[in-house]
Amino acid sequence: MTKLRFIKTGLQTTIQDLGRTGHQHLGIPVGGVMDKRSARLANDLVGNAAEYPLFEITLLGPSIRFEGACQIAITGAMLSPEINGQAIAQNQTINIDDGDLLNFGRPIAGCRAYLAIRGQWKVTKWLGSCSASTSKGEIATPDSWIKKDIRIEVESDSPIAPKTASETLQLDALQMPIKVMQGPEFHLFSNLFVGIFFSKSFTITPDSNRMGYRLQEPIEGYESLGEIISSGVIPGTIQITNAGQAIVLMADAQTTGGYPRLLNLLTPEIDRMAQLKPGDQVRFELVS
Amino acid sequence: MKILAFGDSALLVNFEQKIDDAINQEVLDLAAALKAVPEVTYLIPAYCSLTVGFDASLNNFTEMCDLIENSAKSKSSSTKTNVSVIEIPVCYDAEFALDLEEVMEQTGLSSTEIIELHTTTIFKVYMLGFVAGFAYMGSLPEALKVARKKQPRKLVNEGAVGLAGIQTGIYPTDAPGGWQIIGQCPIKMFDPTRNQPSLLQPGDQVQFKAIDRKEFETLRLMAYPQTTWHD
Repeated sequence: MTKLRFIKTGLQTTIQDLGRTGHQHLGIPVGGVMDKRSARLANDLVGNAAEYPLFEITLLGPSIRFEGACQIAITGAMLSPEINGQAIAQNQTINIDDGDLLNFGRPIAGCRAYLAIRGQWKVTKWLGSCSASTSKGEIATPDSWIKKDIRIEVESDSPIAPKTASETLQLDALQMPIKVMQGPEFHLFSNLFVGIFFSKSFTITPDSNRMGYRLQEPIEGYESLGEIISSGVIPGTIQITNAGQAIVLMADAQTTGGYPRLLNLLTPEIDRMAQLKPGDQVRFELVS
Repeated sequence: MKILAFGDSALLVNFEQKIDDAINQEVLDLAAALKAVPEVTYLIPAYCSLTVGFDASLNNFTEMCDLIENSAKSKSSSTKTNVSVIEIPVCYDAEFALDLEEVMEQTGLSSTEIIELHTTTIFKVYMLGFVAGFAYMGSLPEALKVARKKQPRKLVNEGAVGLAGIQTGIYPTDAPGGWQIIGQCPIKMFDPTRNQPSLLQPGDQVQFKAIDRKEFETLRLMAYPQTTWHD
């Protein structure tokens, strides 16, 4: 058994897996890792199945003391990880010894890193998922919101031969426009609005989070379409507020909304969006 | 019924866009018919639309559209006559009815009339959304129709009972909100430790029962042991 003690929590560290699908009719968000591709890769590098839990680490990472040996892998954002003060590589299996200290330093690129640990996690599941719940999370998933001095236990499986990923997060690709398709209310918007939207570069606001990314620049001259009768929304939906501002809904988004839904991100593009951070610029490209 | 693409792994089925019991029933019947379809990963029934999730890697749009259309044709319209009515206790005391004055002003009704209308109407849960366990119930009698608060509250207490337009609802958790608050419910609408965390499901029938402060305290202590009500 390996125990992880959190000496520092980091900015926002949670336990996530692929989320809890199938409860949205009760208003329960899907949740789960924001960047599925990076998370799958991390679990793969330690020989865990894709649906295993792992840590999602946001910009400023935690400080973790390992009590017991294990194997880990870190993928996604480059947040300067180090073991006992020595920089370590991402995107490969790393052997950890009893007493090792994992720290993170300066965020270099991306927004979310994933820390996988080989073995069986002793973490409370709720509705089939360990993902930190935004609905009564302190009761539903008490272990998954990482707090100071919390201990997480992982029953180590026998070690695997270390692997290095051939495919990693394409950080250059973060500059490329995010591919979107027409949303349910697309045709209610004027050609002028749509034209302006796709010519613009938007800034991600500081209040962007796991529920959604708010884009700073409103579309000039937007004559509000008002609100629609509350209807389903899903991660990747781009809705337009009455002020002409776009909100990109993410993993913890609520399940219904009343703003017109202009666009939807293609599913793999949600992973890329999740690596953008407040202050970053984003553009969109319409595909059919 | 109109089927639209909703991203690459969901479809949106739109019905006539209005808040209406019969239209909502079509939504719920279609959702019931699709529940058993293995390709469907989730369903979000709303007032007059149904979001149908599916695994993008397994299906294509045309197949899923056919599947939905076939389900719509073969679905049985449920007979709602024998559905039991869920009784929900509400304390309408002034202490909890934060917006009663505003509702009286907007409707021209007395507080007694407001409580009377709210407790004698049988409401239907049209949909859940906003936060886990928040049931949108309708429809309020025309006389009790009210506009949302101009300035939404940053925090509405868990259990607060509100009105908005022709809808009524109970906040299942502390949340920001603009509904007009007329009472407080002492039981938990949403509890993750329960097998069925949400007390209410789409399609349920609900009737409110007025309780006094003493009964409120008793019920609240049962639902929230070792806590006392505080503002």
